[in-house]
Amino acid sequence: MVKPIIELKNITKRYDDGFTALENIDLVIEPGKFYSLLGPSGSGKTTILRIIAGFTDATEGEVIFEGKKINDLPANQRKVNTVFQNYALFPHMDVFDNVAFGLTLKKRPEKEIRERVLNALKVVQLPGYANREISELSGGQQQRVAIARAIVNEPKVLLLDEPLSALDMKLRKDMQYELRELQQRLKITFIFVTHDQEEALAMSDEIFVMNDGKALQSGTPVDIYDEPINHFVANFIGESNILPGKMIKDFEVEFVGKKFECADAGMRSGEKVEVVLRPEDLDITTPEQGKLVVTVDTQLFRGDHFEIVGYDEDGNEWLIHSTNPVKDGKKIGLTFEPEDIHVMRFGEKEEDFDARLEQYEED
Amino acid sequence: MKKKHFSTIYLVLVFLLLYIPIFYLIFYSFNKGGDMNRFTGFTWQHYLDLFADQRMLIIVLDTLLLALLSSLIATLVGTMGAIGIAARKQKKVKSALLTLNNVLMVSPDVIIGASFLILFTALGISLGFGSVLISHIAFSIPIVVLLVLPKVNEMDSSLINAAMDLGATRWQTFSRVIVPFIAPGIFSGFFMAFTYSLDDFAVTFFVTGNGFATLAVEIYSRARQGISLEINALSAVMFLFALILVVGYYFIEQYSQSRRKRKSGKSTLGTEVMLP
Repeated sequence: MVKPIIELKNITKRYDDGFTALENIDLVIEPGKFYSLLGPSGSGKTTILRIIAGFTDATEGEVIFEGKKINDLPANQRKVNTVFQNYALFPHMDVFDNVAFGLTLKKRPEKEIRERVLNALKVVQLPGYANREISELSGGQQQRVAIARAIVNEPKVLLLDEPLSALDMKLRKDMQYELRELQQRLKITFIFVTHDQEEALAMSDEIFVMNDGKALQSGTPVDIYDEPINHFVANFIGESNILPGKMIKDFEVEFVGKKFECADAGMRSGEKVEVVLRPEDLDITTPEQGKLVVTVDTQLFRGDHFEIVGYDEDGNEWLIHSTNPVKDGKKIGLTFEPEDIHVMRFGEKEEDFDARLEQYEED
Repeated sequence: MKKKHFSTIYLVLVFLLLYIPIFYLIFYSFNKGGDMNRFTGFTWQHYLDLFADQRMLIIVLDTLLLALLSSLIATLVGTMGAIGIAARKQKKVKSALLTLNNVLMVSPDVIIGASFLILFTALGISLGFGSVLISHIAFSIPIVVLLVLPKVNEMDSSLINAAMDLGATRWQTFSRVIVPFIAPGIFSGFFMAFTYSLDDFAVTFFVTGNGFATLAVEIYSRARQGISLEINALSAVMFLFALILVVGYYFIEQYSQSRRKRKSGKSTLGTEVMLP
């Protein structure tokens, strides 16, 4: 077990007006990894970042950095740096002075500052931009300057508050690669706040999914995508077909009036559950061979796939991703493997969920 | 087309109306004839009289000193005030403070002057340079607040967070990030306070004692005693001074703009040549 660099223990944040932004958040951050805090706006993810950075206090709980409690340490003494959502570059300074700001405050020798700033600009691929004014830079370039300004101080942890949300699609994708690459090269811990699930899945070693001030699930992108803990996570991360169902026995579940073999176990027999089927796991076949039969309603061409919406006899909506188009109004069969079915219990806590998964995955 | 002609003529008329009295005054400051009825010939005599008038020169210097001191102090206090108002979290408190500030801006000078007179007498403060200075500072502060506040509001609070995040103390954040950002507001606040102090008459008239007078008060009392073309000469000099101030302000603006441009490599040669 690697020694954690940051630990949040039981953090609660309540505002004066009684609004609870965070509730009993526990978080363990290990050094050198890329973490994402993922959730819709207002879920409290930025508040966590602000508590780690020291811009706001936690009402309850402990913030621990390298084993020491830092609740009362002011922001300017913490060994973390932040990349802000709107970049927060100083408009009255040029690029060089912006990046040099932290080092100048630390009164480093001029030669060292110069070297480190130019090097940081090289790292973010902006060599030769040192004397530009901030107002002359494009959004993507400002983004890079903001990153350079943070990493030049060699922080142990870099906090990124939705840094890509203001960029256009293409640039955002490029920056995702660059950030990920940068993190692996510098071996700095990144804590990345985003509401974009694709971004989080693509970049992170580990994702914390949040909603309404609560941490819902943490795990690797694959874990969270394949085994979402509840309806919210399943819906928020990727697209899904979520259906009410009933557990018959271990490895058998009933939904849309039929029984199916599945890969989940450890629940009571007859327990009401929810079943998740990802649209890309559904394969189209003839109605005779299909485990389910749906009538195609609409389809959209998404470039790399067709997004098909169909309804079965009971009126349930099905979302299907297919590389080939189908005819509107046609009846098609759907088939899937037992592993493609993921069963979720109602109100299951993350620890219980993990314990249950471990229990039958060991066999 | 016709409409455009009309608006041009209208504009010219308005400006003529505004400037004719001033030029009339200046014109007669060169009159040999000693009054403003008829121009009888050109002379510098009134200007020579003016510069020989030691009392007048002392008053001019006093007035400038007063304006400089009061606007400096008002800028300091007003800037803090603007930052303070902007930092209020509750909207109600914020707008209440701003309203209190604006009431001072619009309330008649006579009222302010009279109330200061009552205050100074009640406190037993003797009237003179000190009392005038205090009252000038007082009526200048709201102006500074009003001019600095928009710049403070324009500043994103994440800039402050960013400075702290990079290790700046509160003072370093203030001096290296906040002040440079709101500097344009501070400068215009200072200039405005300076001009307000220079040409204030009503407030000064109330609180100035026997031994001390500002230009405005002095001109008023001399004008009451009868026409002396020395006053015209003084007006001409003051007008020139104001003109220089305005032109100077213009060039400072130009300079800071062209400096910004020059750094970006877009500066035009023309503006640079014109710089002092």
